[in-house]
Amino acid sequence: MRVILESKVRKKPSLPIEAEAIIPRNFLKGTDLVVFEGNKERTLSELFWIFVEGTAVSPENIEVVLKGDTSRIKRVGEYMDTGTILIEGDIGMHCGNFMSGGTIEIRGSADAWLGREMRGGTIVCRGNAGHYCATGYRGEKKGMQGGTVEVFGNAGDFCAEYLAGGTVHIHGHTGDFPGVEMRGGELLIEGDATRPCGNMKNGSCVILGTVHDLLPTFEKSGTHLLPERNLEMDVYTGDVANRGKGTMMVASRALRR
Amino acid sequence: MIEQDVVCPFCGCLCDDLEIETDGARIVRVKNGCSLAEATFMNDTRLPAPIRRTEAGWEEISYDEAISETAEILREADRPLLYGWSSTHGETQSIGVHIAELIGAVIDNTSTVCHGPSILAIQEVGHPGCTLGQVKNRADVIIYWGCNPVEAHPRHMSRYTTFATGFFVPEAQRERTVIVVDTRRTDTTNIADEFVQIEHGGDYAVLSALRAIVRGKAHVIPASVAGVAKEQLVRIAEICKNAKFGAIFFGLGLTMSRGKYKNVRNAIELTDELSRHTKFVISPLRGHGNVYGSNEVFTWMTGYPFAVDFARGIAFYNPGETTAVDILRRGECDAALIVASDPGANFPRAAAAHLAKIPTVVIDPHVNATTALSRIHIPCTAAGIDAAGTAYRMDGIPIRLKKVIDRGYPDDAEILRKIYDRLDGGMGP
Ligand code: SF4
Repeated sequence: MRVILESKVRKKPSLPIEAEAIIPRNFLKGTDLVVFEGNKERTLSELFWIFVEGTAVSPENIEVVLKGDTSRIKRVGEYMDTGTILIEGDIGMHCGNFMSGGTIEIRGSADAWLGREMRGGTIVCRGNAGHYCATGYRGEKKGMQGGTVEVFGNAGDFCAEYLAGGTVHIHGHTGDFPGVEMRGGELLIEGDATRPCGNMKNGSCVILGTVHDLLPTFEKSGTHLLPERNLEMDVYTGDVANRGKGTMMVASRALRR
Repeated sequence: MIEQDVVCPFCGCLCDDLEIETDGARIVRVKNGCSLAEATFMNDTRLPAPIRRTEAGWEEISYDEAISETAEILREADRPLLYGWSSTHGETQSIGVHIAELIGAVIDNTSTVCHGPSILAIQEVGHPGCTLGQVKNRADVIIYWGCNPVEAHPRHMSRYTTFATGFFVPEAQRERTVIVVDTRRTDTTNIADEFVQIEHGGDYAVLSALRAIVRGKAHVIPASVAGVAKEQLVRIAEICKNAKFGAIFFGLGLTMSRGKYKNVRNAIELTDELSRHTKFVISPLRGHGNVYGSNEVFTWMTGYPFAVDFARGIAFYNPGETTAVDILRRGECDAALIVASDPGANFPRAAAAHLAKIPTVVIDPHVNATTALSRIHIPCTAAGIDAAGTAYRMDGIPIRLKKVIDRGYPDDAEILRKIYDRLDGGMGP
């Protein structure tokens, strides 16, 4: 079954919409769902043109497609456990919060907190991701714990903060402090990164681009060859400001202090 | 008449030993206060009556009209923002929170542009702090990091640190070592025994390096970190480890520079590390007189200290998403009520510009930069001058602000209570 939600033109297009109801499982029982626009409760049909194609008996066969201006819609895919969401344009904050299964594909860019505290499943973002991509809620000691987030563009600051499990793959650059407070999982940054892995406790981070402002508290422990890319990597252990058992690998040619 | 033990409401020190001489509704002399206190009490020029913007310019309106129109603006809004609160008393702040809950608004205070990052850091790793009295009586090593108390908190040093005689530090100036960390020379660095000059945005790296040195990992640290020689870092780590009692105070140079709350977190973790060797504490130097109080009041009532979003009827908190600057910058809110603060003067341009696009109401004793962006400005009492109420000092001590004179203005709490009454029974998410 495919549910197509096309956003209607709104009087106040900057108002945020909170739409945690938009997960494939919820459409098994119909499209009579509730979302919030600012401080007002709205039905899905007040904000979207809804088209349903085919039927489904289980949620894994449901694909939800979001079209139109969806850049202010928050919390799409929150607690999603199965099925597929395809977003044709940009998406608002908190897409895929606490997601445990299924797939979200974003053809445009994603706003902040993409895949926050994700437990499983896959998020693919073809554009850029905002700040706090694949992290946790404020003060939460474990961020993303499982699943995969892949961003083909750049990611903002604090990408993969408190990463505890799963894989985060950024094809472009990241902002300040990617992998800060990391305690597990894998972070791969193909582009450049600034001050990566501050206060990292565990986990592994690989940076193929240039590292700006490498922190002084990483201890070089050797080199390693990445055969699939034919790149020699400097291997660091840290962060020695704390117990420091994490591994950070930086392409040798690109290191800048 | 001379009033003793008056509290100065201007900065987070809330000095409670001022002597104020009044002549009817006029203050004629301020004793014991610093120059900021003097200006606060003596140059208190108020807006005489509520004003409303019209096509032809400003017109005076009655309080009743101003209150009705404000209630109407808030009632109509889909995403109202209530911002400010730091220069007034707790009683007003609490009514603000009630209004926010009633109408499904976002309520935020000035921490959002000052020590919000400190709060985020404290929520991650806790706050090893103490009262200023403890610092005064015990601390023999004082660190000022990214702040300039000589200019911003002029009596902090004389009442609590460098120049204050303490029970266990009777000869303060000789016995206390003062370390100042900053990116440039200031009046405070001139007083320091040790001045650490770091490159812009280098705080995090320097703090990490100090933590590593205190942990016995000095061999990892390169010869220079953010412009600071390793020898100086090692020397400072030694001074700190050998202190009887150390106190770190930090300002916006740490909270608002690159890395923000991660800088503060790193400083707290350094404090933690040092406390394995001796006793160390850390505290933010809070700016506005009662900004700490706004955090307290918000927290009792909502569970969160600032940036609380009631759009869904329950409190939601996520700085970066529910903070005033971000909401304004994204053009989300469609009405704003600004109480006891001046975002027009200190918000980023794009955020301030949005205030001018939407109906904005200001409740403040003084005309300020936000007035120029607003539709209505309602003047009121100034807490600590012509209104009594509760404020919190920067170390979390509640202090009762006194009413020294009566200038005939209504209390801002009274104005807000009337707005609440007009809204009640109406809306809500
Ligand atoms: S230090 Fe602050 S509280 Fe004390 S008198 Fe000066 S301005 Fe007022």
